[in-house]
Amino acid sequence: MATNNTILQVSELKTYFFTRLGVVRAVDGVSFGLRQGECLCLVGESGCGKTATALSILRLVDSPPGQIVGGEIKYHNENLLRSTGARLRQIRGNRIAMIFQDPQSSLNPVLTVGEQIMEPIRLHLKLGHRQARDKALSLMKQVGIPQSAERMAYFPHQLSGGMKQRVMIAAALSCNPEILIADEPTTALDTTIKAQILDIFRELKQQMNMSILFITHDLGTVAGIADRIIVMYGGRIAEAGSTLDIFDQPKHPYTWGLLNCLPTIAERREKLSPIPGMIPSLIDPPEGCIFHPRCQWRMSVCQQAKPPEYVISGEHIAACYLYQKAPASAGL
Amino acid sequence: MRRITEVFGGRRNLLFSGLLLALLFILLLDLFFVHHIFSPFVYFYLCFALVIVFYGIYPLYVSRRLTRYYWDRTKRHHLAVIGLVFIIFLVAVAIFGPFLTQDPTKVDFPNKNLPPVGFSAEQSTYDRTTGQFITRETPGTWLHPLGTDDKGRDMLAMLVSGTRISLQVGLMATLIAIFIGLIMGVVSAYLGGWADNALMRFTDIMMTFPFFLLLVFIVFIFGPSLWFIILAIGLTGWTGTARLVRSESLSLRTRDFIMASKSLGASDRRIVFHHLIPNVLSSVIVIATLSIPGVILAEAALSFIGLGDPTVTSWGLVLQAGQRSLETAWWIAVEPGIMLFLTVLAFNFLGDGVRDAFDPRSQV
Repeated sequence: MATNNTILQVSELKTYFFTRLGVVRAVDGVSFGLRQGECLCLVGESGCGKTATALSILRLVDSPPGQIVGGEIKYHNENLLRSTGARLRQIRGNRIAMIFQDPQSSLNPVLTVGEQIMEPIRLHLKLGHRQARDKALSLMKQVGIPQSAERMAYFPHQLSGGMKQRVMIAAALSCNPEILIADEPTTALDTTIKAQILDIFRELKQQMNMSILFITHDLGTVAGIADRIIVMYGGRIAEAGSTLDIFDQPKHPYTWGLLNCLPTIAERREKLSPIPGMIPSLIDPPEGCIFHPRCQWRMSVCQQAKPPEYVISGEHIAACYLYQKAPASAGL
Repeated sequence: MRRITEVFGGRRNLLFSGLLLALLFILLLDLFFVHHIFSPFVYFYLCFALVIVFYGIYPLYVSRRLTRYYWDRTKRHHLAVIGLVFIIFLVAVAIFGPFLTQDPTKVDFPNKNLPPVGFSAEQSTYDRTTGQFITRETPGTWLHPLGTDDKGRDMLAMLVSGTRISLQVGLMATLIAIFIGLIMGVVSAYLGGWADNALMRFTDIMMTFPFFLLLVFIVFIFGPSLWFIILAIGLTGWTGTARLVRSESLSLRTRDFIMASKSLGASDRRIVFHHLIPNVLSSVIVIATLSIPGVILAEAALSFIGLGDPTVTSWGLVLQAGQRSLETAWWIAVEPGIMLFLTVLAFNFLGDGVRDAFDPRSQV
């Protein structure tokens, strides 16, 4: 279903980790496309393969033990899985940039903030020191770091968590990437700062027409900025669709569970209802649908074969046998 | 021009490499055409000075805030400050002292075995007129403030010369050892796999060599030149550093900022030199400070057992000469002993202070 403005197409991606205990199928056949200027959210519990998917796109999976065993990642007709190291280095930070979860540990403690923002500028844009500095200053202003000229000389430990995350964003934005992968960028921050950081992302999308792949475990965070949402479970896509589809007409039992975990102001609920059970081990996943041990609606077919992705309407798909009568899609 | 700068990783590295090349050029010129205006040592010092200025003083000057932070933390250790002051004093003595004192090799038999100022000792001298030995009290003179040895050489001059030798050996051997250890450790940790295995097994083999025996062996084969002693200590003393740097780099390698830097397009070389090495440097500085006294003692010990360079007046040599006349002229052995003791102590104190300042885990 690759449309013309799809700039990144992931097809049947399989990333496995070969550990001593067995093969962890962290990403097991995930397909999606990212379009110009949209914010696509990957949502799921810890360990469902969100981060592994993101790292696979930039080919940053640690090997060993990780290995991308199958699939295709097409960035403008270029299969990144076949690219050379030098080509990948040109793309990383320059065309596709990534922001990590913990700003505390994602900044080098012995280099100043300015040096770290300037690193990709000097690597990719080949600017001189003076110009790189000016560029870094304007980036810091853009992400809302006050007294930026002075803060350039600060070391990471002298900044607060929110400021550090802004520095990370500034560094990721420095070369005007087409795609920004944000791996839980707000998880380590407190609520007010989180809102401010989300505002930055919203601006980026609107003003710079940047494509954002936003990874989070929190559906509440997603609602405000996502255009489309992919719900992942156990290394596979459970449900995908527009934000409206997912919030208004969720189809997959797992999505129902996730939405039930959200506190709402409109309804008065005595208790939030968590999804029963634990996330399954990906070394020895259950037969059939991975979610079936925790699913209240499971049928006998669920225990036998993995459900295909059924099209509900338009882009809305769900991998669940409840929708067996709908035609199977070829992948979003 | 910009591309050249990028290859060297910044203007500072470019300037440094340029100056280093110039130095090498002058050295070659000196060796083959002008014939030894300066000793090769001088070039080594200039090299050393360049490293210190470009990678020690310049970064400290640029990030004054961090410098002040480290200084504040080091300052809390009074002993470390005392050690530092003493080391600065030693360095000054080593550089300027030999120009101010007498010739440490000048033999002056009539004035042999003079005690230091403020002491007096019984001396038996041969009286020519009577043909008999006369024993009398000889007081120390200001002409030889620290006395003279059994050949009438000025103790002060010998100690000053010894300071120069000891610091030379200590600094240069440590520099060589640290350099090898740092590269071995970081490369081994970053590459991992069979390269890591090979390098670390080589390190193990180096560790099993009895260090002192190897030193004696090298001196025996190549002759007792100060150069060989420095090289021998430097080429064998890197194993501990390599291990520590490796373990530290291993834990750094898995930290998010390495991944973050990769995600921004940094190459392996850049990660090693720009991210890993600066992070292990603080522990390396600590090891360096703490290993200098060991090296100084090793050189003194070599000189003491007569395997040192006989052409230079080192503390160990004076000590060894002095022990024969310990009963009649105690100062000959005691004075270099005190100097050794104080120097080793000063470096150890400074090392402790620096470790506490650099190690974030020991934050008080």
